[in-house]
Amino acid sequence: MSMPVPPLRRLHQVPRHLLVCEKGHLRHPRSRHAAHVRDHAYSCRVSFLIPECGILPEVLKSTIADVGEYYLVRNLSVHELVAHEFIDAFVKKGSCYALTYNTKIDQDNTAALLPNGKLMLSVDKDTYEELGLQGHPSRYSGKKVMRYIITIDLTDSGFHPDSKKHKRVLWALKEKKPLKFDFLLAWYNTGAEGSTLMSYFSKNQIKALKPKITISTLRDLQCPVLQSNELHGKPEESCSTEELFEWLGAVWNQVSLDNKSSSFLSTYCCPQPNTVVEKAFLCTITGFIIPEKIIQLLEQLCCYFGEPKLAYWLTLTVHGFADSPVSWRESEHGFHKGGENLYNFVIFRNLDYWLQMAVGTNDDCPP
Amino acid sequence: MAGFADLSLPQGLDKKSLQSLLEAAAHLGYSAVALNHVVDFKEKKQEIVKPVSPSELFPSLPIVQGTSKRIKVLTRLTLVVSDPSHCNLLRSTSANIRLYDIIAVFPKTEKLFHIACTTLDVDLVCINVTEKLPFYFRRPPVNMAIDRGIYFELLYSPAIKDSTMRRYTISNAISLMQICKGKNIVISSAAERPLELRGPYDVANLGLLFGLSESEAKAAVSTNCRATILHGETRKSACGVVYTVKKPRKVEEEETPLPACKKAKTQA
Repeated sequence: MSMPVPPLRRLHQVPRHLLVCEKGHLRHPRSRHAAHVRDHAYSCRVSFLIPECGILPEVLKSTIADVGEYYLVRNLSVHELVAHEFIDAFVKKGSCYALTYNTKIDQDNTAALLPNGKLMLSVDKDTYEELGLQGHPSRYSGKKVMRYIITIDLTDSGFHPDSKKHKRVLWALKEKKPLKFDFLLAWYNTGAEGSTLMSYFSKNQIKALKPKITISTLRDLQCPVLQSNELHGKPEESCSTEELFEWLGAVWNQVSLDNKSSSFLSTYCCPQPNTVVEKAFLCTITGFIIPEKIIQLLEQLCCYFGEPKLAYWLTLTVHGFADSPVSWRESEHGFHKGGENLYNFVIFRNLDYWLQMAVGTNDDCPP
Repeated sequence: MAGFADLSLPQGLDKKSLQSLLEAAAHLGYSAVALNHVVDFKEKKQEIVKPVSPSELFPSLPIVQGTSKRIKVLTRLTLVVSDPSHCNLLRSTSANIRLYDIIAVFPKTEKLFHIACTTLDVDLVCINVTEKLPFYFRRPPVNMAIDRGIYFELLYSPAIKDSTMRRYTISNAISLMQICKGKNIVISSAAERPLELRGPYDVANLGLLFGLSESEAKAAVSTNCRATILHGETRKSACGVVYTVKKPRKVEEEETPLPACKKAKTQA
């Protein structure tokens, strides 16, 4: 009897994950940092860490308080997002973001509206066959396809109210297989006048929510020494990006950094070389945060280094939703054992930046 | 990727423990569970009773954590067979058997395993995890079962309770994997208490220990369970395509009189 791969060998393999690092300068005319932020549409948590900072400057405080509210609508039918009143009022005037709430990407149907006007439906096999709209199989589904992705371009010129396409989509979503979800909505208005989301969905139970902000200060924190032009670190002089990424994860999860012999939870040590900072400022904003606000926050953090400061660098981390159907632009996002899709900026005093983008198993490489 | 399901929760407990088991399963993220009624023919002749309807047992089902849907409860029957004459019950068109959503068989000898995989009309074949296998798996019946859409079930709660059973679970599972190459496996608990239930991602990790690949292990808790449930549903239909549903009697309306020639055509 032939022996297949010995089962234990598989135990040493970790699920596939990817970390992409990029370096640049924030004031360079061709810097792509804003483009990367804009491509990542759905963020659920934004956190930043500033070493050697005890109190936040007023400008940053007001930027955080101004992150803007988002809306939760219960039991909204998807065909209402395809209605032309909605498209003309919100999708075409500004950037409209919508994501289903309380749905798991690997088990249930999910829907998402991207700011470029594309409605992505990630449905399971039964729903796809009942719905009757054209889609393609998910890339992470294996030989027996269990999940399909349907993309509907709402701003397409062929999608006007009398077209066959629009009629078919409306028929499928209204009569053939009505889909109803709880949606998280946000709208970035480019200044045009018109109705707001609250008034448009006043018939459904729409609720306006403000993002939650938590602030803390850490004392005597070990921080790695970094040099902005050394991505891979120089032995004895600076740490590499991978070491920084791990250290940052340890700090945010409150893992102790000194490998005490009495601790059974972790043997993690702060990477060498490191310095001890007296205090560090941590702030976390949780909610449905849109990229435009993150760009504003990024700008304000750059201005932090406008005055001389003790810190050499600060970090801004943005986590995407684990259950969103897309990660960057329109690349499909899946959930195997974890649905992480996050990016991290490290901004140096001289306004150089490192950008690290990390994804989990069922994901494409970030751009 | 379907919702996670646990196809083996014991039915013989009292209502309160069942309710707490259901809540634990919903909290862990299972979208569907099956209440298992075990019939062992070694004891005196037992009658197959009608399945208890879940809507009678549980007036309100808990909501699955992370979604807004309620957990689905199905009924399942497991026959423990140690003699070929016990299989006659499955061949007879007993009305009560048809009322169960899933039918499983637990063969105790090699001949019965062969019969279960090749001819019996069941959805699941249970693999013994509590003692050393009395027979070796062979490729022909296992391949026939895979072709027929029958799934092999492994339990994990005996492994939680006792370390000897843990060894048997892993060794039996690995010998099954060498023959079936990871296809058509369903892993379920036979948890009698909420503490013996494990979350679906943990059970998928357990599948890695048995030799499954990452995607096969996750499918063992989700996609394969969905396929088993659908296989059970086809038993209630003709060829898996045609369903019959009892229609409420409506008052017959007056038929509009059709022209005579048209009537003749429809009767042809």
